[in-house]
Amino acid sequence: MRKNKDYHLTEPTWCKGCGIYSIFAALKKAAVALNQDPEQFVIVTGIGCHGRLNNYFRSYGFHALHGRALPVASGVKLSNPSLSVLGISGDGDAYSIGLGHFIHSLRRNINITYLVVDNRIYALTQGQTSPTSEPGFVSVSTPYGSKELSLNGPKLALASGGSFIARGFSGNPTQLSTLIEKGMKHRGFALIEVLSPCVTHNKVNTYQWFKKNTYNLDNDSDYNARDKMKAWKKLSKEKKIPLGLIYVEKRQTYEDVVFQKEAEPIVFNDLRVDVPRLEKIMEKFK
Amino acid sequence: MQKKGKMITDISVMIAGMAGDGVLFTGNVLAKIMKRQGWEISTYRDFPSNIRGEPTNYTIRASLEKIYGRADDIDVFIAFDCDSIFKHSERMAERGILLCDGEDFVWPSPSKSKARTYHKFPLRKLAIGNFGKEIFKNMIALGALCYILDLNFYVLERIISEAFLKRKGKEVVRKNIQAIHLGCDQAKEIVAPEGRYSLKRREDYDRLFLSGDEAIAFGALAAGCRFFAAYPICPASEIWQWLAVYLPQFNGLVVQTEDELAALNMVLGASYTGARAMTSTSGPGGSLMMEGFGLAGMAEIPIVIVNVQRAGPSTGMPTKTEQSDLNQWVYGSHGDFPRIVLSPGTVEECFEFIIRAFNLAEKYQCPVILLTEQDYGQGLRSAKKFDLSKVEIERGKLLNQEELIKIKDFKRYEFTPEGVSPRALPGMKNGLHMVESNEHDERGYRDENPENRIRMMQKRMKKLKSASKDLIAPKIWGKRDAEIGIIGFGSTFGPIQEAIVQLEKKGIRAKYLQMRTLWPFPSKKVEEFIAKSKKTFIVENNFSGQLSLLLKSQVRTPFDARNILNYSSQAFRPSEISTQIQRAL
Repeated sequence: MRKNKDYHLTEPTWCKGCGIYSIFAALKKAAVALNQDPEQFVIVTGIGCHGRLNNYFRSYGFHALHGRALPVASGVKLSNPSLSVLGISGDGDAYSIGLGHFIHSLRRNINITYLVVDNRIYALTQGQTSPTSEPGFVSVSTPYGSKELSLNGPKLALASGGSFIARGFSGNPTQLSTLIEKGMKHRGFALIEVLSPCVTHNKVNTYQWFKKNTYNLDNDSDYNARDKMKAWKKLSKEKKIPLGLIYVEKRQTYEDVVFQKEAEPIVFNDLRVDVPRLEKIMEKFK
Repeated sequence: MQKKGKMITDISVMIAGMAGDGVLFTGNVLAKIMKRQGWEISTYRDFPSNIRGEPTNYTIRASLEKIYGRADDIDVFIAFDCDSIFKHSERMAERGILLCDGEDFVWPSPSKSKARTYHKFPLRKLAIGNFGKEIFKNMIALGALCYILDLNFYVLERIISEAFLKRKGKEVVRKNIQAIHLGCDQAKEIVAPEGRYSLKRREDYDRLFLSGDEAIAFGALAAGCRFFAAYPICPASEIWQWLAVYLPQFNGLVVQTEDELAALNMVLGASYTGARAMTSTSGPGGSLMMEGFGLAGMAEIPIVIVNVQRAGPSTGMPTKTEQSDLNQWVYGSHGDFPRIVLSPGTVEECFEFIIRAFNLAEKYQCPVILLTEQDYGQGLRSAKKFDLSKVEIERGKLLNQEELIKIKDFKRYEFTPEGVSPRALPGMKNGLHMVESNEHDERGYRDENPENRIRMMQKRMKKLKSASKDLIAPKIWGKRDAEIGIIGFGSTFGPIQEAIVQLEKKGIRAKYLQMRTLWPFPSKKVEEFIAKSKKTFIVENNFSGQLSLLLKSQVRTPFDARNILNYSSQAFRPSEISTQIQRAL
């Protein structure tokens, strides 16, 4: 059995009290629970405070460009589906500069897990308004208040064909690690948005605020996460934010569709030049 | 036995009309017949970025000699509309044959055209009158061309059967063949047998017939490319469309991405994981790829990008040719990082260079750009069969598991004398490392220490020097002691070669330096060439003389050079080059 320390590379240096600490811990806990081999584990991050995670977590790591974690993660997974691939982005990375990739990745349903760390602010660049900031949100970039509606990632994910949609909260690490574990087990694209307070720049959406404004679907025995309409209704209610597994369905993955059954991963292909076979193809240029 | 026409060894046939007239189909069939009769072919597509309703033309040039571009004159011109005549008749050869559909046709004044023979040829009327459908005008035109060019009808009939029998059945084939014979009979009434053209036949010629885009796609497959991601764009989509058919048959994958940002970043992910990966695009897509281009340089990930240039800037002219993306790839993206830019001049080189591109990318762990053009990217050319036995796959310092396990302290970005570090792939034991878009240390972890920064910059940039001996050197054509030196890259290859022949007839001796690697710049070879030329001309399809500017920044000795530029969105014709050189002397 693997242990927590198998995934621990160095001590993180995020701000004291940052929500990402619990995500880091939950991720390690989920990896232990899944007995995930660090050498078969690729974590692709975007730009933002979350992007430092690769420096602390022991696995293969790829710190990609701003907004591009998902295309890189997709390229990794499709070339070698035997690897476990996890992408991490912030709310700016996933819902602003990388939004196109977000929607199309949901549509494709490649078997990767995607954590969106939502602190409702651009923290690494010192506190600008983000797409998940609420209307009227005052920050250095919107001193007179944000003039735009905030973006609802899981709702957008449901509309885009997401096959696993969950929302966790840094203030509830036990539920979070369970959600990550489930997401990693899910065959297909698993989105887990994590509400995660920024203690330095966001004085509105604090731990207290999130506690007050969320409720847990996992405690609701009537809720059926396989019911798309119910999920849509829950995500459409504006007052309180649902946490837990919101929606899950069985759907063919992109890999199921594009690769032949039991095909070797692309990276294990024998690349030696098959002259007779290529000669035959060349004959078609006539 | 019918009388033979005048024997010639080089001919240009233009087919023109409005988009939707079937110009491309007619042209491709004609090119195929001529190719099968043993002639070298070079086609030139000048079409609008529109599906219907705008003028389009297609030139098929056939020759006994190997040719690489369009000719100065048009010998035979068949037009589905009248407007085309006014646009192109100036380029008619002295005794050219011009057929034109159109009842409301107004004859161009003789000053507008050199051709003595103009003929009304009611293609549309004949098609509708005899077959009830306008579409048969293409076959009637082909029949007429077959007669005028003294081509083998049997070859044409076979090509038509190949195209239609399976898809549309016997009846359609029969009708089409009827239309061909109708076209032939009609043409006989216009052009006497001795007024025709007749090309010498070559029976023993075995040639391929393909575009540069197809040669690149085939070359990539041979080179072991197994992952391809791209976004649709003219004039590069043919590369993708070919690979989309064949890569899955080789256990590979083609992904259509949401944009070029995703395409390049997916390719980066795939290559990092160990696949030979590539994308193809054109200038506008290249602009979106700039950030990923820099990441490939920073993270030392081997990738291949094919940029089939079209006329820019902005959306520009999507289906026209230009050479104005040189700056984009030689200087593009922010910051300094190593890149290799290759420029094939022919379809044969497209195949050869794409294989080199994959090897260079892995040996020097950097992005490699294959810079081509719409001209031969979409234009079909006859080509010698590619020698597949010469294809080699070199993966550089990529470690296998056995080698990796023996390494005590694996460092993905280890400082080495040549700047290239050992490479492990995710999933391998003992190879854990980080790939950073930020500046990083030897293990790949973020490091902003100035001393590390200096060493890392030097390490990455050193790879260019290490690669310089391994690159495709510029090639000198023509007599080495000729006093006039011409420098060019890419598709100017054909027109420059022919311009040299034209100059020689006027007593001017010229030689040509074909730039085949644009970056790292082969300064020494270029300096030598310039030193041995009394006067140098730099020929380019762009406004600002991008090669000329690059060259001036990379050559230390002062020299006398003049630019010959064409930014009309059309490829050079040989005489454009030769007359400008003549005038300048």
